[in-house]
Amino acid sequence: MTFSLLHATDFADRLLYNIVPPLKAGMIVLADRYAYTAFARDAARGVDRRWVRELYSFAVKPDLAVYFKVPIEVSTDRLMARRVKLKFYEAGLDMGWSANAIESFRIFQGKVLDEYDRLVEEFGLSVVNAVGSITDQQRTFRKLVSQHLEIEEVDEQLDEQLA
Amino acid sequence: MNSLTNSSPDTESTIRPGSYYGNGIPYLPIDGYPGKIIAIEGTDGVGRSTQIRLLREWLEVQGYGVIETGWTRSELMQPTIELAKASNTLNKLTFVLLYATDFADRLEKEIIPALKAGFIVLSDRYVYTAMARAGVRSVDRTWMRNLYGFAIAPHLVFYLKIDEKTLIRRVLAARGMDFWESGMDMKLGDDIYESFRAYQRSLLREYTSMADEFGFRVLDAKRKVEVIQDELRRQIGAFLAESDTSAQPTTS
Repeated sequence: MTFSLLHATDFADRLLYNIVPPLKAGMIVLADRYAYTAFARDAARGVDRRWVRELYSFAVKPDLAVYFKVPIEVSTDRLMARRVKLKFYEAGLDMGWSANAIESFRIFQGKVLDEYDRLVEEFGLSVVNAVGSITDQQRTFRKLVSQHLEIEEVDEQLDEQLA
Repeated sequence: MNSLTNSSPDTESTIRPGSYYGNGIPYLPIDGYPGKIIAIEGTDGVGRSTQIRLLREWLEVQGYGVIETGWTRSELMQPTIELAKASNTLNKLTFVLLYATDFADRLEKEIIPALKAGFIVLSDRYVYTAMARAGVRSVDRTWMRNLYGFAIAPHLVFYLKIDEKTLIRRVLAARGMDFWESGMDMKLGDDIYESFRAYQRSLLREYTSMADEFGFRVLDAKRKVEVIQDELRRQIGAFLAESDTSAQPTTS
């Protein structure tokens, strides 16, 4: 609960200082993770789903929410390949499911991914298959955004940038 | 800008003392815990801490285990809250959420373990203080009640009621008015006295409006300390006697 509420407090602070003012000024805000992360993570930790949603009712509804989806094996492999040391909470070690960080991560992230699947339906998140190459993902992502902003597609520009 | 989710009132349910107000904390079931929560509510300067000190002594002499808990006293959050208050970067939403975090920490780390072990928890202020302060600052009432859906309904809530005039005199005599207690963040006026008066008046209105909703036992706080203490002891004594009898096993 404290974990959930601390994140909500941090989110409220960023919302009011960093998100709402640029929106009012007509700017585009790119948010790396949003309240959905809290919905998935807190529910995976056993916090009441409905309560978390009510808690975040002060959040602004994004015009577009994109979910980059990978199976659990892929995310674990990617983290291992980079030899990242898993953080305590990231691995869900606070839950006491397993003393082994990787095993605990697998269990915890598995639950988180299940929650995300639920969210896709509930909030109409756009899903990008994040197993593919970065170029492919970026292409799909740009398509989604440009459709949304009604700007013309700029595939050539992307090819140049990624070349 | 639309909001992300809709805040809708929790399905109307009767309050059961010792149970969660709302859906509660799913991973911490508390049904059947033997401890009791007794909350003492009231604005600044009504004498809550004096009454609690005296109650504690009286309860301990009778053999009850007692713990005290108070607003913003969690180990995790107290320094953060003090810092945030001092830096003036808080707005009403972050203020409300910091308080809720502090409460959640104390609930999980102090209150629930004490209830499990059969202690009496004397709470110096409870969630109603948060609701009153938020109400004065026009934070959505339904949202606040949902937020505190993880709180446990106390077995007894005493509200030490005082009028504005007496309150002002007591606070001035004791220590003077401070920025937050005067609601200076609400910019009601430059004059701290006028601001304090207006702020405390709206707080009193908020508490009054909650008395029925949450079943406060209202005590007149203008009376002498001993008179109030006697009244508290009478009511608490009666409550404990009754729950001790009903807790007795029927067969040995």
